[in-house]
Amino acid sequence: MADIKVENVTKRFGDFIAVDNVSMTIEDQEFAVLLGPSGCGKTTLLRTIAGLGMADDGRISIGGRDVTYLPPRQRKISMVFQSYAIFPHMTVYDNIAFGLKMNKFDGREIDKRVREGAELLHIENMLDRYPSKMSGGQRQRVAVARAIAMKSEVLLMDEPLSNLDALLRLEMRAELKRLLQEIKATTLYVTHDQIEALSMGDRIAVMKEGEIQQYDIPDAVYDLPTNHFVGSFIGNPPMNFMQGQVQRQNGQVRVRIGDFDLSPSNSMQPLLSAYEGKPIYIGIRAENMEILAEPAEDALQVEVLVVEPLGSQNLLTVQIGDDLVKVATHPTFKVKPGTKVWVRFPEEKIRWVDHDTRQALYPS
Amino acid sequence: MTNAAETSTRAAQASAEVRAIHRRMLRRQRLGRAMTYLLGILLSLWVLIPIVFITSMALTTPAAVRSYPKSVFPFLPFSTATMEFFLNSRGVLPGITNSIIVAVITLVLSTLIAAPAGYAISRFIFRGRDVFRLSILAVRAFPVVVLSIPLAVVFLRLNIYDNLFSLAMMHTALALPTTILVLSSVFASIPYELEEAAQVFGCSPAQAFRHIVLPLVLPGIAAAAIFTFVLSWNEVFAASILAPLHNRTLPVQVLITLDESSEPYQFAGGFFMLIPALIFIFFIRRYLFNMWGQITK
Amino acid sequence: MSAPSSPKRRRKRNWAPYLLILPSIVYLALFFAYPMVNGLILSVREAGALLTLHGEAQQLSLPTGQLPRGAQVSILDQQGNLISQDELDQANLVTEIWFQTRGQDSTGETLEGWAPGTRIRVRETNESGAPVSGTVRPRIGSDDPLTFIYAEPNDNSEIVGSLEVQTPVEILDQVTLEVWFLVRAEVEEQTEEGWVQSRYLQVFGDGTQGRVSRGDTGQFTTRYFQQMVNDRFFVPALRTTLLLMVIIIPIQFVLAITMALVIQANPKGSGLFLYLFTIGLGVSDLAVGIVWYSIFTQLGYLNSILQGLGLIDSPITYLSATKQYWILIAIILAEVWRATSIVMVIVVAGMQAISREVLEAAEIFGAGFWQRVRYVILPLLRPSLQVALILRTILAFQVFAVVVVLGGGDIVTVLANETYRQYYDLRNVNVAAAYSVFILLLSMFTAVFYLRAVRTQEEVGG
Repeated sequence: MADIKVENVTKRFGDFIAVDNVSMTIEDQEFAVLLGPSGCGKTTLLRTIAGLGMADDGRISIGGRDVTYLPPRQRKISMVFQSYAIFPHMTVYDNIAFGLKMNKFDGREIDKRVREGAELLHIENMLDRYPSKMSGGQRQRVAVARAIAMKSEVLLMDEPLSNLDALLRLEMRAELKRLLQEIKATTLYVTHDQIEALSMGDRIAVMKEGEIQQYDIPDAVYDLPTNHFVGSFIGNPPMNFMQGQVQRQNGQVRVRIGDFDLSPSNSMQPLLSAYEGKPIYIGIRAENMEILAEPAEDALQVEVLVVEPLGSQNLLTVQIGDDLVKVATHPTFKVKPGTKVWVRFPEEKIRWVDHDTRQALYPS
Repeated sequence: MTNAAETSTRAAQASAEVRAIHRRMLRRQRLGRAMTYLLGILLSLWVLIPIVFITSMALTTPAAVRSYPKSVFPFLPFSTATMEFFLNSRGVLPGITNSIIVAVITLVLSTLIAAPAGYAISRFIFRGRDVFRLSILAVRAFPVVVLSIPLAVVFLRLNIYDNLFSLAMMHTALALPTTILVLSSVFASIPYELEEAAQVFGCSPAQAFRHIVLPLVLPGIAAAAIFTFVLSWNEVFAASILAPLHNRTLPVQVLITLDESSEPYQFAGGFFMLIPALIFIFFIRRYLFNMWGQITK
Repeated sequence: MSAPSSPKRRRKRNWAPYLLILPSIVYLALFFAYPMVNGLILSVREAGALLTLHGEAQQLSLPTGQLPRGAQVSILDQQGNLISQDELDQANLVTEIWFQTRGQDSTGETLEGWAPGTRIRVRETNESGAPVSGTVRPRIGSDDPLTFIYAEPNDNSEIVGSLEVQTPVEILDQVTLEVWFLVRAEVEEQTEEGWVQSRYLQVFGDGTQGRVSRGDTGQFTTRYFQQMVNDRFFVPALRTTLLLMVIIIPIQFVLAITMALVIQANPKGSGLFLYLFTIGLGVSDLAVGIVWYSIFTQLGYLNSILQGLGLIDSPITYLSATKQYWILIAIILAEVWRATSIVMVIVVAGMQAISREVLEAAEIFGAGFWQRVRYVILPLLRPSLQVALILRTILAFQVFAVVVVLGGGDIVTVLANETYRQYYDLRNVNVAAAYSVFILLLSMFTAVFYLRAVRTQEEVGG
């Protein structure tokens, strides 16, 4: 039982607030991902949990034990570093055994665990090698083996895949996921790669400027962003946001985009009525719009500006009101720039975002 | 009800324990910090105290130099008499002039010869590059003592013995390996892309070097030159073998007259020779790591 | 198809780098390789150990044998031979002067030819001192009063006539000849005979006996090295040099690593610490000797402080012949004070190269401060430490001025000081060269030893 509880943690570097009053809980054996652009404080938060920098404020507990002021070695954690941090002067074997030796395990246990760890990572035939003679992928495996040989209940990973090339990263991602399911450690994984986050994490915490924007399961983070930032950070292409004006017509709330009227779903009506006469953001993902070659009811006529064939889909850029909007279509839907097409917005796929607070509006 | 009370007491106990841990941590951190400072200060004193001693000897009256026991307060009485006595002693001013002449020739020669080689090592990959680098490293390790005697014989034969210029040539040979390595690391710190960019925007390779590389490497070259100056200024063995008669440098003059000179003269001389070290090392300390860090690579 | 043209991957051989490194190669060859070879030659080759005998009194004639320096010879004959003007300052040179003369012989005929300078008394010289006229000298104790006149300035040449005593002659020219001797000597039960130039001989008594004072060709010899080893200062110098090395280097490494750790901890003011710790790099060993002399001299700071604290009543003399250990201590302190900085700089540079994450990994996996130093920092510093060790050891063989200042140059002496003394005080270039070659060999030996030792350790440690 080792949940990680972060309560109101703040970390400053001089005047700069890297982590700003953050609270989050990672349940036992859960795989949580800290996702955010560079400089958002995700690595600082991880390092604070690891003890590589003390929190200036707040509490951190692991498995119910308050570790806020403990040095790293007393926190019963292990960690995989971005640069792997393999000891260059030790063989693979000694690298994996290092933590065990420092924690005074007996020799037979160390040997057993080193071999187990090496087997899990398929490096059992490299135990006598020095890291300098290994590829990046192999070093990465050593770093992971070293971390899991500790059998700590908590495993911290700081962008472990970011130094690998694209193909290797794909392969390692699947393998890490399998491995982490197998070892059942509570894992906190830092990355700036949303695909990694979406594909691996049980829960994702999206961070920006030292604060957690949303902490939820991947589907929710993707589909129900809590704010403008999360929507536009997650997804490729990111969620489209258009500016509209909330109006009332015939007792119904309508949102006007350019010369087109959008009717929100019934569940949204009461919420949006408060915004009457105000601007609002309409968010929708590229793949959630329906695109038609012929005019249809409820469909908005737009002109295609750019066509990007991506293999599995064609990505069209169209102009709606003042905003450029990306629309995903089936690859068989052939259009040329300049053509007129019609777009329909399924009402259940539309996300509404407050223009001023940039927070998404959901019916309670 | 009891349950809730129990939980809250336990929480209070836990937080008391955490506070204790926190205090212990802080204490340990402060102790570590204090140890670091203590060590740093002790080591600094170890370096500083002899300097203070020699400085206060040099900046007082000759009578105070000869007095015993010496005053606990340095620089009392403060006087330039000892320094004046030293500087006005026979052979000292010419020695200083000679030292400066030799050091300046050495600095110019070694920079002129080393800069192209340093540039070549940092910018080109050519056959023999590693051999060249390695032999420079090996050469740098050779003792001055080994070179001086044979060179003296050669200089005698060529009739350029006891000559400032030939001594400077010897010092250049001593300084050259270091200078080449330092300058190559200085050049290597300027990305080649900058030169390429300049060439793309219309510079010739020579212009690119002059307008882009040169301004960026000048501080590094200056540091290397200063180091060369100090090396030559300090060198006494080769100088006393190669120019011991009519063209003594300051260290040679002090060394040869050591037996017959008085303590005020010696202390003032020691202090005077120390000055460039104190000044120049301050300006080039950042580059020292470039110079010596390089060789382990 | 054009390959991607990177400046570093040109097909065509690029001569630019070679041109750029050429000056330094030439310079280093001239000032390192050449003196190095020269030093080696000086130390093992005895110049002028052998003298070549010639078949005729001619430099170009066939050699007939060799005589060692110091061989006793009997002189059988002698003959003059032309010598160039700039060889006239050679030692032991025996010369003859011949005049080209014109005078009338007994028959009244004008004779022109060469006569030995000994036969003509110069009566008149011109303003530059050159003889212009003279008379033929009488021949005392000789039956024949006539003086021969030769066709060439050489008594083997054709006799063109003879002049009577007191005949006035015009002197047209004069030449200086070096005398060649025909010598015979017994060398290892063999008789050697041949012509040699007078400059190589020392002639005794009536001019029938002589000794070879120097030779014209060199010979391999170990005698300079023997002389070095047998010198009464050699063993003390070697012992002191090694002793200083063994004591100083470990102290320096401990101090340097401590300094580096302090700087690495990066406290406030670490810039100042860094400056203070590096000062030694710019201090000469002469200056450092004087600095520590001011502390250890009889009326110096150490005694002042001790007396101030009431620990002693009267000043102690530290630096005296009877207290060699105090001199050693002073030298050790001075060297540690000065030369720790270079080790420190190398160690700091090495530490900066250790990745921060590696140290953090060690921390995460349970290593405390000392364990990090022991298992991570020191092993990773090994290449730097090795370089520092080699450099320090080689520099330790060159300790010179410190020893002269604090040890007076003879109470406590080191190898470099002996080199200097052999050269400067004793004027014995070859023995000095032997010392320097010895230092070179020691340096190379230790460097190779360190490199080997470290490598085997790695292999064993696998």
